[in-house]
Amino acid sequence: MGIYGEPRFLPCGDLALSVELGDDINREVNARVLALEYLIQQRRLGGVTETVPSYRSLLVYYDPLAVSWDELTRSLHALWREARPEVLPPARTVEVPCCYGGDLGFELEAAAKKLGLSTDEVARLHASADYYVYFVGFTPGLPYMTGMPERLHIPRLAQPRTKTPPGSVSIGGIQCCIYSVESPGGFWVLGRTPLSLYDHAAADPILLRAGDHVRFRMIDRAEYDAIAAAVAEGAYTPRIETAARTR
Amino acid sequence: MNLLIHDAGPQTTVQDLGRRGSLRVGIPPSGPMDREAFLLANRLVDNADDAAGLECTLTGPRLEFADARWVAVTGADMPVTLNGAAMPRWAGFEVKAGDVLRLGPARSGVRGYLAISGGIDTPPALGSRATYLRGQLGGFEGRALRKGDCLPLGPASGGAPAEVLERHIPDYTVEPTVRVVLGPQDDCFTKRGIAALFDATYEMTPQSDRMGARLRGARVEHTHGHDIISDGVALGGLQVVGDGQPIVLLADRQSTGGYTKIGTVCSFDIGRVCQVKPGQRLRFRRIGVAEAHDFLRAYRHELELAIHREATS
Repeated sequence: MGIYGEPRFLPCGDLALSVELGDDINREVNARVLALEYLIQQRRLGGVTETVPSYRSLLVYYDPLAVSWDELTRSLHALWREARPEVLPPARTVEVPCCYGGDLGFELEAAAKKLGLSTDEVARLHASADYYVYFVGFTPGLPYMTGMPERLHIPRLAQPRTKTPPGSVSIGGIQCCIYSVESPGGFWVLGRTPLSLYDHAAADPILLRAGDHVRFRMIDRAEYDAIAAAVAEGAYTPRIETAARTR
Repeated sequence: MNLLIHDAGPQTTVQDLGRRGSLRVGIPPSGPMDREAFLLANRLVDNADDAAGLECTLTGPRLEFADARWVAVTGADMPVTLNGAAMPRWAGFEVKAGDVLRLGPARSGVRGYLAISGGIDTPPALGSRATYLRGQLGGFEGRALRKGDCLPLGPASGGAPAEVLERHIPDYTVEPTVRVVLGPQDDCFTKRGIAALFDATYEMTPQSDRMGARLRGARVEHTHGHDIISDGVALGGLQVVGDGQPIVLLADRQSTGGYTKIGTVCSFDIGRVCQVKPGQRLRFRRIGVAEAHDFLRAYRHELELAIHREATS
């Protein structure tokens, strides 16, 4: 289990193929996916029009009149041999301020009860961890993250909500998620960040990227309101560190 | 100069060929649901293929021009009138300042396209003028048009009489057969499930939108469960969830998803899927990747021959 000995090339119609590198969700497989995508970009692989990374596979869109299936899979196979985590540029760590509990974190109490912890313990445990973004997708800017302390692992809501406000910081299973746009949801909402994960009016509308690390910083309601106001005016710069971390 | 919207119709949006490179952060390409009809409209008025035009859904808008332009209407069979007089579809014609153009309710098909020489000149977002409604991105203020909107147009680029040849004009009343390549998760389905997909006809449901065409028909049976480790969703991805009913994922699709995809509708048949009205049916035909690429080559070649231009004297 884990990384395949050879990549699988799966057809996705006439304009795309999926390169599958492993059979489970783990950091090593994902780092290979991101490294493969990075090498495709760096080498400007001919005929490739777009790429979409996910947990264990890379969706590659291509123009079959510019590159044949055989040529493309041969080049991808050669890049896959080089696609090791070391080829990636240093990862970023993005600080995400989060106001836990209250009407912004409207399921903190229920989640704490379910976990047999106090609300303070849940918030502190949640904010203490280092989260890793496998990929961003489903809705614009939504990060798929793991890294949650085991004591916070929790079954998803039995009855999913129809609407979750954007910025909601939530947990379900072994995952932590930040909703990027208003959407239905089956995760427990512990708090909310005043940052926009997707800002349709910005030149660069997306905050988080595949391969990023995320650290939550506990803030109170007053600071939440202050940051939210600054974000609305375009006057807030998120804290982002780039360091040579292990992925 | 600009374009004044008197009536917008239920869902009229500004579209160009769509954005590229944003799927990796969860933003779909958007763009016209029927790319072929859109492209031909642009070519009829001598626009670049990626000039922005209007996509109209079921019923078109009524709009007024502020200056002289060449225009063309393609796609769904929406009756076209200019100041009340019937005008041809799939052909370019001239309009003058003050003229009022109307695209009526579709007699067949779902999406009609209006191209205007010079193109619509709304500000691009992430390199494209295509409207992504759920993300409030691109187009005109990131939304469908409303009565009273005034759209900026690019400089009029002139034009000349041109029409799409009869044999290239689709008949949307016919039940289409669309070609599908199996994969990426066909191994999650039983032989019987795969056979059902290609033997049965499927009905378009009213829950379909720019994200996906939700179909109803014979159950496509899984071997064990419909959940997978979330992965990328290609254009045309045929997603099958727990109820065994397929959804064809389209221009505004989610970038990734956690459900099995039995196959993928080929790019050259996507436009045809998007013209199937709720209640109308379609069929799937299975082809291989190499065959799909042969069809694509032939299709692109044919598209180059679709327009007849009158010899200029």
